[in-house]
Parts: sequence; structure tokens; C-alpha cells
Amino acid sequence: MNTSDMLEAIKDLNLTYLMLAQHMIREDKSAAVYRLGVSQELADVLADLTAGQVLRMARTNVLLCRMRFDDRLILGLLTSHGNENMMPQSHAAILLSGQPVEELA
Amino acid sequence: MRNKSVVTEGVEIRLATELIELGARLQVLETETSLSRERLLNLYKELKGESPPKGMLPYSADWFLIWQPNVHSSLFIDIYNYLVAHTDLRGAHALIKSYRLYLEHVQVCNLEPILTLTRAWTLLRFLGNLLETVSCSRCGGHFIAHRQDINSDYVCGLCRPPSRAGKSKKQASEATQDILAAL
Repeated sequence: MNTSDMLEAIKDLNLTYLMLAQHMIREDKSAAVYRLGVSQELADVLADLTAGQVLRMARTNVLLCRMRFDDRLILGLLTSHGNENMMPQSHAAILLSGQPVEELA
Repeated sequence: MRNKSVVTEGVEIRLATELIELGARLQVLETETSLSRERLLNLYKELKGESPPKGMLPYSADWFLIWQPNVHSSLFIDIYNYLVAHTDLRGAHALIKSYRLYLEHVQVCNLEPILTLTRAWTLLRFLGNLLETVSCSRCGGHFIAHRQDINSDYVCGLCRPPSRAGKSKKQASEATQDILAAL
């Protein structure tokens, strides 16, 4: 993958992420606040972005969405791989619910 | 019930309907709405086509401490606490939304929804007196535990699962069959 392909892929992912986020927030804000891991205030801002603003935000060389797992969780998920009794997805969901939300600075 | 606005009643009926559809017992409906018992009975029969189960809710606080139920109820309560902390949802609305998100998780992960809505509701009533949430000293996740227990060094059931964790009776009997077949 050359750099211009990668930049194109980043833009696409950013665009998809922002549009999905907007759709989720408009459909069911409380559920979206849970699923996205953002504050209600940030959710309001995201939902109010115009199509033009979304496009401008997406067109950048960095990803706009962030990895929500910390090292310990990733380690836990990897080491429990193959052992269905450990319920790694449920463990991940429990840990994610306890994490702080992304907020407006 | 007297002098009640029709609009308020409409809102309450919608709430009761949603609770019934999610499997709520009559005791839940009586506590969470101000509709009369008679009205709730009629609504229940109309939606479910049968009378609600009678008698006391059989749930003890100890159920929430069994390994698998504990994982399910801890996840539910974590979602509930998240919603209460970060959205405007409160009371029955927070219960319904977090229960729906719990059901969604269970469905996506191919698990059995072993926590019923009535049990989830019971759990909320137990918190603060019989039960509380404590942080696991290994993973930092919040889990349901007995209030009287000394929980300073608590390790959750997912970080330290019991040896028989997650093995259902069915799997156990299948294993027995295998052993018998091998003899």
C-alpha cells in the first residue's frame, strides 16, 4: 500500500466513522453515548456537524477514532483466546463500561 | 389514579408495555408505574395472552454471585451505571435501555440471556443494601459482590474463574456420555 492509497483509506474510514456516529446519535442518543464512548455533549456536537464539516474533518492524514482498549485488556483477550469459558467479549464489555468517556476539552 | 391526565396515563401505559414485552413481572410494573393493579393486569393479559405468574419473586441476592450470573449481572449493572453517569436516563428508562444493550451483547456473543428483566430490576433494588459493585484488583472492572464481604483484595470471576466455570449441565452430561461410551 503506498502513501496515497493509505491516506485515501484513512479518509474513507474517517468519513464512515463520522457518518455512522451521526446516524447512531440521531437514532438513539443514549445508546450511541454507550456505543461510541463519548460524552453527551460531544455526541450533540457530532450530530450537529453539517455534511461539509464532516467531509472537511475526514480529509486529514490521521484517524479520528481511537483504540478504546488498554494494554491490560488486550493482553487478557489474547491470553484467553480459544477458551470460550472465559467469556472474553463480556469481560471486554465490562471493562469498557468502566472507562471514562471522550469529552470536549 | 383519580384526576390523572390522559397524556400521563398514555406515557405510563407505553412504559408498562415496554416492560411487559421485555418480560417484567407484575411487581416490577406496580413499582415502576402508577397504573392501577387492575389496569396492569388487563394490559398484561392483552399483550401476553395469559395472566401474569402469581406469587413472590423467587430471586435471592446469592444468585447474582454465582459465576456465570455474576458476569451477566455485572455487565448489566456496568451498562446501567454508564448510562446514569453519562446520559439523562433515570429509573425505569435507564433500566430498559441498559437491559436492551445487555440483550444485544448476549445476542452478538451467542450467549444465553440468563439475566431476565425482573432479575435485573431486583438487582437494582439489592444494590446499596445487600450487594454492591467492587473493582477487581487485577483487571479493574466493576463486579457485583456481597456488601458484607471484605472486598479490598477482590479478584473477579473472569480473572480467576473456578475450575468448572461455564460448563453447563448439558455439556457436563455430554461429557459423562462420552466417558460412558469410551468404557
